[in-house]
Amino acid sequence: MAHISELLTPSDLQRISSLHVLARQVVEGFCSGLHRSPHKGFSVEFRQHRAYVPGDEIRHIDWRVFARSDRFYIREYEEETNLRATLLVDLSGSMNYGRGGVTKWEYAVRLAACLSYLMLQQQDSVGLATFDSRLGTVIPPRSRVRHLQLILDTLQAAKPGGETELGTVFRDLVPKLHRRGLLVVISDCFADVPELLKALAHLRHAHHEVLVFQIWDRDELDFPFRKWTEFESLESAGHKHLLDPVQLRNTYLENLARFREELTQGCRRHKVDIVPFVTDQPYADALAAYMNLRMARA
Amino acid sequence: MSFLNAALLGGMAAAGIPVVIHLLHRHRFEKVRWGAMHLLERVLRENQRRLKLQQLLLLLVRMAIPLLLALAMARPVWQAGRSLLGGGKTSTVVLLDNSYSMEAGRTGATAFGLAKEEAVRLLGALPRGSDMQVVLMGQGGGTLFERPSFDAGYTAEALRGLDAGYGTATVPAALEFASGVMGQMHEASRQVVVFTDFQRVSFTAPEAPALSRALERLRSGEQPAEVVFFDVGQDVHDNLAVEALEYSRLMVGVGQKLAFKAHVRNFGDTPRSDLPVYFRVDGEEKAAAQVTLGAHQSGQVNFNHTFSTAGSHVVEVSITGDSLAADNVWMASIPVRDRLPVLLVNGEPSAQPLRGETDFAEIGLQPFSAGRVAQADLLGTRVIPAEQLDAKRLSECAVVVLANVARLTEVQVRALEGFVSDGGGLMIWPGSRVDVAWYRKVLFNGGAGLLPQAYDAVQGDTKEGGRTVALAAQRFEHPALDFFNDPRNGSLAEGAVRLWMSFAENPAEAAPSRTIARLETGAPFLVEKAFGTGRVVAACTALDADWGNLPMRPFYVPLLQRLTVDLASGVETERNLEVGQRLVALLPAGAAEKKVRIGTPGGGSLELTAQRRGGRAMVEYGGTQRPGLYTVEAPDGGKTHFVVNAARRESDLQRLASREIERFGGENHVAVVRDGTQYQDLERQRRFGRELWQPILVAVLVLLLGELWLQQRFTRPAMAAKKPVEGRSR
Repeated sequence: MAHISELLTPSDLQRISSLHVLARQVVEGFCSGLHRSPHKGFSVEFRQHRAYVPGDEIRHIDWRVFARSDRFYIREYEEETNLRATLLVDLSGSMNYGRGGVTKWEYAVRLAACLSYLMLQQQDSVGLATFDSRLGTVIPPRSRVRHLQLILDTLQAAKPGGETELGTVFRDLVPKLHRRGLLVVISDCFADVPELLKALAHLRHAHHEVLVFQIWDRDELDFPFRKWTEFESLESAGHKHLLDPVQLRNTYLENLARFREELTQGCRRHKVDIVPFVTDQPYADALAAYMNLRMARA
Repeated sequence: MSFLNAALLGGMAAAGIPVVIHLLHRHRFEKVRWGAMHLLERVLRENQRRLKLQQLLLLLVRMAIPLLLALAMARPVWQAGRSLLGGGKTSTVVLLDNSYSMEAGRTGATAFGLAKEEAVRLLGALPRGSDMQVVLMGQGGGTLFERPSFDAGYTAEALRGLDAGYGTATVPAALEFASGVMGQMHEASRQVVVFTDFQRVSFTAPEAPALSRALERLRSGEQPAEVVFFDVGQDVHDNLAVEALEYSRLMVGVGQKLAFKAHVRNFGDTPRSDLPVYFRVDGEEKAAAQVTLGAHQSGQVNFNHTFSTAGSHVVEVSITGDSLAADNVWMASIPVRDRLPVLLVNGEPSAQPLRGETDFAEIGLQPFSAGRVAQADLLGTRVIPAEQLDAKRLSECAVVVLANVARLTEVQVRALEGFVSDGGGLMIWPGSRVDVAWYRKVLFNGGAGLLPQAYDAVQGDTKEGGRTVALAAQRFEHPALDFFNDPRNGSLAEGAVRLWMSFAENPAEAAPSRTIARLETGAPFLVEKAFGTGRVVAACTALDADWGNLPMRPFYVPLLQRLTVDLASGVETERNLEVGQRLVALLPAGAAEKKVRIGTPGGGSLELTAQRRGGRAMVEYGGTQRPGLYTVEAPDGGKTHFVVNAARRESDLQRLASREIERFGGENHVAVVRDGTQYQDLERQRRFGRELWQPILVAVLVLLLGELWLQQRFTRPAMAAKKPVEGRSR
């Protein structure tokens, strides 16, 4: 049976004001579709016995207890986390784009909330850092469930604006991450590609796993404008161009393809995972991408 | 350049509409706050110049579309300097193919009738003051008027009265003629309009190169003329023709059987079975035969006839069954003699039988009379000694034979020269009495005399029974000797001579002679020469048996007879003519300066005055344009028949295919039109200029498509941009 989160698009979910509720809806919906336990393979510690119910795996039956009591009991374990994840959310002005639907920023915030919830559910430590041209709030990773509220509050309070300067931001961030872990960058990556790649390389050099969720708006990919249009920069006030988008579309799309290709190739070179997302895609896709990575690391 | 609807040029202002739309777009724009500015700016930085150029190109194309559309609607006319040529007056030569193939046609309308109709219309539409001339193409050309006419009405009247001729059309010659006629015309603007049925034989090799040269001369002369070919031909394929009538051209005698071979051809695509062929003599049907001819096949029909009376007879072979009548009949005029007088001049008479110089010849020329047989001889001989030869006796004979005559007086020589010059025949046979020096000096006279080649010296073995030289066995071209090409008629090689006269080489200034038979040594046996309208044949050996065995051989009689009849035939002028060929009739001297009546085909007649020509009277007539029978009636009531046959070159009605006609026009840079409307369009273009709306509309269409293509080209996404959005690296 499909969970409600599978049926809702990001714009429907926008109406759910509480990030916590939203994150739970999405994550629970996502997990109910999984057939294999994500916990498998992690080091565990015995917590308690519970009565066997049909459907439990037979290999988890404690045969000693059965010998003593002639009843079936299942052994349950307390998982021990070994993942420290930090979500790096882009607060630059360009993230504020979105015509009539979800802006990229809103999409990024919800995505970050869902990921945090999922990670904490899995007993992982999760932290948060926001940035634009400079590093903003930094919340170190914790695995406590209460920690989620702090992250969600910080995300809700943040407002996008300013330019993107990923190189500086990532250099400043590295000393603040004391242990190596997973860095999930949620950004449109609208920056100078060599600079960005250099910054990612810096993170990799510090032995962090890096996963980039690149957020796109559908307009940025299709460039659907037909009339003469004045494009005004979201990052630099007063910076604008009046042009005929029909005439420009070809070259824009070629340029876009080149940009994406450079970025993808660069990330591959530095062993950085980059996953493009469009703001009309379900959040579950992002969670699936994360889980895939998580499984690969396991 | 001028415009037929100049007011519509105002529509060109619509060219401003794309500019206005462009400006409006620039002022009514949307505002978008945009994140991916770095991508846009990179595009602008790298492509600004190209984008501007594209924008400009599109704008120009869009402006050009209404501009050209308005221009097309204004109907511009390209005049190319026509106005400089003098108010549109044009000198026009109408070249009318009046060969008899133009009489072919379907449903009653002939190609010639159509050509006349179109020519009248064309000349009537010429601007006032234009001069015009009509050239008839048949037999190489001839003008309808002495001088070019300025009166279209008068010209039309004359054209309507024309009938198709019966001659052949020689297009190159007619174009050359028209080129000469053009020299008499006045206007700077000139045109030659050729009305023709594009008959294949007139436009293909060997005529084609001469035709191209003639057209080139017309086009690139001092005052070049435009040449238009007006195709009035119709696809008529069926035609039957009597192509030729073969018979012996030697003199025919009363009671002699004459064989006729008629060649009949089917030029059509439909096979004809049991086609009747009629044979008539003097208008009376004597025989009929049937022949079956496949498509494009010819056949032969044989007839025989024996003439029972002397005089001029007309033989006619005819067929029926097609629309083109001119080539369905072949006529022949055959003079039949009851007796052909031959004068034998005996240079060595003898009282003993067969010892006289002409004894064998006398028997050989009239064998039936000599043998007391009741059959008639064509030839009648009279033997005289040399001293009796005079003008009176010469006037009574057709052929003279000099046999071993030592020499003649000067008066006799003059009389003999006059006789031959007026068409008489002379045979010279040498012998032991011949004064070689006199023959060389007087009779040869440096090549100007009667003897074809001077006798040199006696050759051979003088002893009785000595070594002989045979006559050469050869193929003969001469009509008197071709009889011996058939071995059944005997062979000259059976004859041998012991003694003979060698002929000296002719000096360069001498009148030409030809050897018609040889000895096996290669030395001439018989030589021939034309002298005036008559001919002379000289032999190298004697007429009797003194120098050889010729009289003992079977060929002797036919040889003498055929030589004599052939020489006698030269007295007559040609009675079988082609259309347009001059008719020349020789009449007795008494007819000179008197009126001679000539009956023409169709029942008409005319009178001409006979002219004196040597010892005879002569009448000439050039108006043989109609095929048929022309009868010359001398003042004494004697009639001579002349027949005129249409040349069969025109019988093959096959036309050039449409593609070939087009190619002909293209290769020779001449316009070809099929009807009056096409000609009027052409004329309108030439006189008023060419309307340009059609090419402009095509240009508009091209621009519309171009605009669409440019638009697509400038906005089509590149392949690279079509990569899927989603996807994960690594």
